[in-house]
Amino acid sequence: MSRIDAPLRVPFTLLFGSAALWLTLASVFSLLAKVQLLPSGLGACEWFAHGRLEAAARNAFVYGWAGNALFALNLWLLSQLGRFEIRNGWMAAIGGLFWNLALTWCTVSVIVHGPGAYALLDFPAGAGPVLAVSFALAGLWPVVAYAKRPTGHNFAAQWFVVGASVAFLLAFVLAQVTVVWAPASGVVQAVAHSWYVRSVELLWLGGSALGFGYYFVSKVLARPLHAYYLASVAFWTYFLFAGWTAPAALIGSPVPLWVQSAGVVGCVMMLVPVLLIGLNLLGALSKEGGWSRAWNSTSLRFISLGLTSILASIVLAAWSSDRAVNAALRFTSFSEGQGVLLLYAGVTMCVFGASYAALPRVSGGRWPSAAAIHTHFWASLLGAVGTVVSAFAQVGGRSPDWAFVAAGSSALLLLGHLAFASNAFATLIGGGESPQSHPAHD
Amino acid sequence: MKNFRYLVLGALVATALPFTGLVVGSQAQLGSLGRAPAEEGGPLMPPLEPGQAVQGREVYLSLGCVSCHTQQVRPAGQGRDIAAGLGGRPSVARDYVLQPVVLLGDRRIGPDLANYGSRAKSESDVLAALRKPVHAPGLRFDADGKPDARVTALAAYLRSLRQDYSSPEAPLK
Ligand code: HEC
Repeated sequence: MSRIDAPLRVPFTLLFGSAALWLTLASVFSLLAKVQLLPSGLGACEWFAHGRLEAAARNAFVYGWAGNALFALNLWLLSQLGRFEIRNGWMAAIGGLFWNLALTWCTVSVIVHGPGAYALLDFPAGAGPVLAVSFALAGLWPVVAYAKRPTGHNFAAQWFVVGASVAFLLAFVLAQVTVVWAPASGVVQAVAHSWYVRSVELLWLGGSALGFGYYFVSKVLARPLHAYYLASVAFWTYFLFAGWTAPAALIGSPVPLWVQSAGVVGCVMMLVPVLLIGLNLLGALSKEGGWSRAWNSTSLRFISLGLTSILASIVLAAWSSDRAVNAALRFTSFSEGQGVLLLYAGVTMCVFGASYAALPRVSGGRWPSAAAIHTHFWASLLGAVGTVVSAFAQVGGRSPDWAFVAAGSSALLLLGHLAFASNAFATLIGGGESPQSHPAHD
Repeated sequence: MKNFRYLVLGALVATALPFTGLVVGSQAQLGSLGRAPAEEGGPLMPPLEPGQAVQGREVYLSLGCVSCHTQQVRPAGQGRDIAAGLGGRPSVARDYVLQPVVLLGDRRIGPDLANYGSRAKSESDVLAALRKPVHAPGLRFDADGKPDARVTALAAYLRSLRQDYSSPEAPLK
């Protein structure tokens, strides 16, 4: 284990271990929510109300799984890139601990007392400050690692991860104030909420995942990215335009027309960074057998899939912001499919890919089970495809058959996540001694 | 070091700009919006909510009804809401000024409820809708089919949902 990795071990293990637990829990909630929509339902217990299960699944997935995993992986990645040796790792661990305690409280409260009106902000008001402070302790390490890096190296991956980390904290605090503590008046709440959701999705989660892309594509292929000189333009346009896409989620709603139009413009502008990022990353993958090399690296297999999905979902968002298209798609299951494409097939695949490389480095162990890696890959790929297809297929109207496909896909995802979580735990506690027949790249 | 400052500041500004433009901008435009009569001397609209409806909204929130129902009617040029009979006019910002939390919603597994109060002809219509199996979680009726206190409050809330008055921004035709 290197001098960089060794002091990371305790906070990383705590954070990533929690992430794996939350991922499993989120998959259980999400499976229950899908079963709830089957004709048979889930009975009359109010804990199983669809809105509660869905909110619990969403919070566990975004804050529990993605949040903890990004605390761990962003810290690891920026320590690597800047040759940064963390000193006060206990602060990250304490932050992670309180983040998880607050989140547990939120989850219980959503199931027992019910969610609020606004997705991703639907927890008790008192939890907000705890989450914000915990994030400052656990989630800002990439910024420290970048500021204090002895090497002076300056890579696109670092910009994305640092930008993502500070963007989340700012968005979270502003949204807490304007939606929860001192709610803006009437429909302005909905505008603020849409801005928060897009900031979380595109800046925090998407930004970090793209950071992994910029690092791993060039690292695994062992060559520079395509047209790398455009990366800084890609980064700045992505960060500048992302938040403006928010009100495209409110086309036709009783909010000012100029706000809706700004959303449409934002969505179209996002095609610029998508093009540039695609050029950098997919361009590099498309040269000299890059895709087949990606397929043969566990990390890059997940990450190249994830990057493609993220870019595709942003293109879809631009298409569906067209007013005529939007008139037909709004309020349907289209946005569910779009969300899964971005947050699961996109961000989560990138997180999986990064963790296949990072966990052995930090723990000094190995991924013990190649079979579990295969199960994880195929179950999550098929589960993601099934979920997205069933959502898009029900745009014209809900059908029990597709509801079964959706529930079956959720079950597949749960299976994949169990394989991943158990394998990750074995790696983290260094139990993996057996030789690995399907090595993560390194 | 210089890089560092540019990066962090730049990312914060990029995050905050759309907030300032969109959220602060709409608050500046709509923050002082209140009830208003459709024409001189008419009653102030939207009407005040009955107390039981206020309790009913809490039930609606806590059971996550918003995950399957919207409460907004889009204008005629934007979707078929009005043609489908969900309302006589588009929803406007003023319709929501009395609501502490706005339950616009963004998915319709069930129908839009912005005008459910004017669609439902009687209390028993509402209870019949709530007795459907899809609504089973959390809604209790006793052996003779009488609703408990929560369902009664919820029904009062549902009956209060109506945007069937003229508004200065959206007159009824
Ligand atoms: C799982 C999705 C779902 C949830 C959650 C849900 N509903 Fe429904 N709701 C529906 C569907 C589907 C219909 C149409 C049922 C039918 O026509 O048979 C409906 C119909 C209704 C209707 C009748 C609407 C009309 O125009 O006739 C009302 C009223 C209603 N729901 C209220 C509620 C309330 C109150 C809650 C929260 C306790 C709720 N719903 C939660 C799916 C849902």
